[in-house]
Amino acid sequence: MLKKLLHRPQAVVGMLMMLTVLTVMAAAPCFAPNDPNKIDILHKLAAPCEQYPLGTDEMGRCILSRLIFAARVSMSISLPAIGAIAAISVLLATFCAYTGGIADRIFVILSNIFMALPPFLVAMTLVGLFESKAFSIIISIVIAMWVWNAQVVRTYVLREKNKPYIVTCRMSGCSELRIILRHIIPNIFPHLLVLYSTGLSGVIIMISGYAFLGLGLEAGAAEWGAMLVGANKLIFSHPELIAYPGLCILFAAAGFNLFGEALRDICDPGED
Amino acid sequence: MKHILSRLLMLAVVMFGVTLLTFFYTSLSPVDAAQALAVRRYTRPTDEQITEVRHELGLDRPFASQYINWLGNAVRGDFGDSYNTGKPIIEELSASMRPTFAMALMSLVFTALLSIPLGVLSAARRGGFADKTVYLFGIVCMSVPNYWIGFMLMIVFAVNIPLFSIMGADSLKDLVLPSLAIAIPTAAANIRVFRSSLIEGYNSDFVLYARARGISEARIAGMVNRFALPPLITLLGQSFGFTIAGSAMIEFVFSIPGVGSMLVTALSSRDTVTVNACVLVIAAIFVAVIFLAEVVNTLIDPTRRSKEGAYAEKTAA
Repeated sequence: MLKKLLHRPQAVVGMLMMLTVLTVMAAAPCFAPNDPNKIDILHKLAAPCEQYPLGTDEMGRCILSRLIFAARVSMSISLPAIGAIAAISVLLATFCAYTGGIADRIFVILSNIFMALPPFLVAMTLVGLFESKAFSIIISIVIAMWVWNAQVVRTYVLREKNKPYIVTCRMSGCSELRIILRHIIPNIFPHLLVLYSTGLSGVIIMISGYAFLGLGLEAGAAEWGAMLVGANKLIFSHPELIAYPGLCILFAAAGFNLFGEALRDICDPGED
Repeated sequence: MKHILSRLLMLAVVMFGVTLLTFFYTSLSPVDAAQALAVRRYTRPTDEQITEVRHELGLDRPFASQYINWLGNAVRGDFGDSYNTGKPIIEELSASMRPTFAMALMSLVFTALLSIPLGVLSAARRGGFADKTVYLFGIVCMSVPNYWIGFMLMIVFAVNIPLFSIMGADSLKDLVLPSLAIAIPTAAANIRVFRSSLIEGYNSDFVLYARARGISEARIAGMVNRFALPPLITLLGQSFGFTIAGSAMIEFVFSIPGVGSMLVTALSSRDTVTVNACVLVIAAIFVAVIFLAEVVNTLIDPTRRSKEGAYAEKTAA
């Protein structure tokens, strides 16, 4: 699998982009030239110079440093969120789809109800749920998104469990748990990786949306979406300040999308 | 017909679940709506005043009784008065729904106009230059938030080339840029799906058979399109609902007084009745549109009708 991935330029580019984002997230203080929240009122909207490589924003804060630290904010919310979504959706969907019967019936009805509410709407209403702002964003995203992912996992499990090799396993005396853990999950794993890798890019975009609306994060937090708050005022004078955060979101999200889509092509080779 | 009826029954169950879920989600919030309103009314409310407001709003009653009361009124289209403005919510909601709905409709048209031709193109030129270009364009557009595309369109088509105005929703022309901003990332995701279902269509047995019978390629293309459309129609329906639900960001960018900005204002001022009303109406639209998409799909593709339905038709004939 890894070998196949390394032979695809698209997957390699995607992985490099993912690695870059994760490195920037881990070592943000090493890359950032300035404190992202230090206000330098004398240098408002400064042009790029030696001290501020990309200039400063309307409060005199270093743009480059804010862009770098924003990777940390964004990833520290989106990674746990997608992890929790993955755990919940795999556990629940595998159990319901594999056992079938009444559990699956209930799951279908419940997921129909949960899927009647668009995820962004759910997440918006839940975003003020807990004291900790980052934690409540994570929880709200998990509640909003788990069902959409669980639905996909369910179809994978249903497709896999009717394959002849599963029947063979059962005939040779495999326990149900062993079939799930050793056969079904490993076989659908690449598909899951596709789902959660492209899902992660969706979560990154969703978080930036919250920050842009001023929901969830602290005011003035260094986040890509938050940096676009009030951008309307800059549209005539400093359009480049609007471009930078979006390009960062593009870079982060495209990395996961490129990787996920390349993996999808490897998983379903029949299409091309 | 039977298929549609059973879907309608499911729809009723779903809608009931949605009202329960909506009410539950907003009451989960730790923010006390009574306290928020009391602060607005008395600046520094005493405990008695807060209790009084809570009683007035009916928030001291048990959850079930609050829910039944709210549901009973909501069914009749009465969502109560906003905690914030004191005016009936339904008036504000219907006023703010108008621009959002127009924007969602227009972006639906743009999405279809972008995804159908580009999907057909990339399926026809599979693996070729056009296909690869569309693929790359799709990945890029899927990876950016739509409100940022909105800003970029605004910079290009309203600031540098002043074709459109940068704010307001007075005429249809004002909605072109916001609708386009919503349509671009949505179309990017749809093209992918349409392309693969077109390819699946071309690879299926009925195309082989049609070719063997000597049916012209143009007619085969028509058949394949009919085969490949249903997933796209479902997606289009879904994205219409997503557009209304996620309209807040685009409305902020283009200063449109729509339902998204109404919802955000209500959320940040803890106006829970308004939040409930907005969420419920948006969910109802979402469910209705998805149902409509399903009906259209059933009309396009008869094999979608349930097996029993097909059997009944056969025996009747």
